[in-house]
Amino acid sequence: MDKKENEGPEVIQGLTPADRKAIEDFKREMNEKVIPEILEAVEERCILAAESRQWHLKS
Amino acid sequence: MYTWIPLNSSTDLPQLEKHISPEYGPAHVAKTLADPDGISSAVKAVLIESNYNDKDYRSTYYQFYAKKGQGYRADCVRLHFFDGAVTFDEKTLRLSCADSRDNRVTDHYFGYLVLRPTGSTTIGRTVLTPDIRRGACRLIIAAYHKVHLLGLTLKVQGFPSMDQHCDIAVCAHAACWSILRHYSERHNVYREFLTYDITRMAHEFNPGGLVPSKGLLMAHAERVFQEAGMFPVVVTRGRSGPGDLSFYRQLIAYVESGFPLFAAIPRIRHAVAVVGYEWRPAVNTGISGIRHAWDEIKSLAVVDDNYLPYLSIDRPVGSGLLYGAEDIEGFIVALPEKIFYSADAVYKVAPTLFKLGLVVGLPPEDESIIRYFITTGSALRRFVRDRETEFDPNLLTEIMTLPFAQFVWIVEFATEALWALGKIEGRAVIDATASLTEDMPLWLLHSRTKALVFDRQQVGTDTGMKGFELCDMGHTGFSRMEQNLRPTQTK
Repeated sequence: MDKKENEGPEVIQGLTPADRKAIEDFKREMNEKVIPEILEAVEERCILAAESRQWHLKS
Repeated sequence: MYTWIPLNSSTDLPQLEKHISPEYGPAHVAKTLADPDGISSAVKAVLIESNYNDKDYRSTYYQFYAKKGQGYRADCVRLHFFDGAVTFDEKTLRLSCADSRDNRVTDHYFGYLVLRPTGSTTIGRTVLTPDIRRGACRLIIAAYHKVHLLGLTLKVQGFPSMDQHCDIAVCAHAACWSILRHYSERHNVYREFLTYDITRMAHEFNPGGLVPSKGLLMAHAERVFQEAGMFPVVVTRGRSGPGDLSFYRQLIAYVESGFPLFAAIPRIRHAVAVVGYEWRPAVNTGISGIRHAWDEIKSLAVVDDNYLPYLSIDRPVGSGLLYGAEDIEGFIVALPEKIFYSADAVYKVAPTLFKLGLVVGLPPEDESIIRYFITTGSALRRFVRDRETEFDPNLLTEIMTLPFAQFVWIVEFATEALWALGKIEGRAVIDATASLTEDMPLWLLHSRTKALVFDRQQVGTDTGMKGFELCDMGHTGFSRMEQNLRPTQTK
């Protein structure tokens, strides 16, 4: 593997430029879509949990 | 006093009535055990241990039954279950094992059931192996429980259960007790809590009088786990009802992690402990689209205070008092402290990992089944060490040397064909202590051909990231990691 292919702002061993692009795409997907969805889901679950704490369990 | 009852079949169980006082409810107990869904015919003898001092019953006796006008006994009866290899000499009170060279009675012991002298709902502390429970699911969360009997120390692997007392403890107390007793037996970091301790822990005040019989709120159950030194997370189904698949996918992820769940069924105001599951038979569906482990679940195993342990419930919503897995609308998972990355996050991140599929060689997303669960770094290393021929030496070295935090999330990727064989194509290891806002919460992602490693030594850089090719280890798939639950060996 051409060493120069792996040079960049941060050296990532053993990865081709295509691999590095896939990693950047992954990070972009995480930052732009997945993390906001996670935070929204966690908040929604907190609201639902607050309501369910009043469920009466007896039988 | 000890009485030995050989069993030729379940029709011999009513003999219990001849030897046990009616206040222990022997007729009902015999009927429950002999039920078609009761204990299997592998049980060939019952040893009745009278005058047994049961710590859990005593805790309720001191705080409740001793205060009542009607006289209650302070002692219990304990029933022990054995297979046909064990014999009992009434003269010497010796238990022996006829066909075992090392006379290991414990290998032929199926567990015990304590009977309380309360007239009704008499089944107290019970630990039975799932192996003798008819219809038990294939995978059950279990721990070893020590039993001292006639000078022997026996062991049984199972999950604790008991009937509710009705007046001092209801279904939710019983479910909390089962889960806490499992934790105290399974992990020595947790202390033991008795039945009355659970009743007391549910409230900020002393819950005397009628208070316990009025039941618990979900918040009270959460409080019990907090008081026990755990870190409970309440997860509630969304407004789409049984259509909230992310709820059920999280539920099974925690069960697969070996965490028993306190599950609420508001339709019948009931609470149970979810302690296991069974896969549906692997079928070639040809259906395109990513599938999650929940989609492959046939049934859940629950500990319900109205039944013998390991009741198997199917997925669909039930009717009347019968319920299904999709009747569960909320659960509490009592987590250890150091799990910061929730199942909500893994549910979202796991499918996103296919974005890296071409880098490491994962199967196509719409042909994959994904499964995720928590384990410890040391359990992962043990699993890999036990199967080291499956792993490229460089990958093995990375797994042995990565500085994992105590807990990790594992995501496994399988094609339908590999799933049927109990194999996987690749695996991701996610840091369970990661922040929800991290864009790369991974330790490791690998398939059979390539690996991506992230050593996470320094915040904010990718300097620890590396990729490398893996050599062909001559297998078609890695073993699925199924370490957290015990496979049932039906007897």
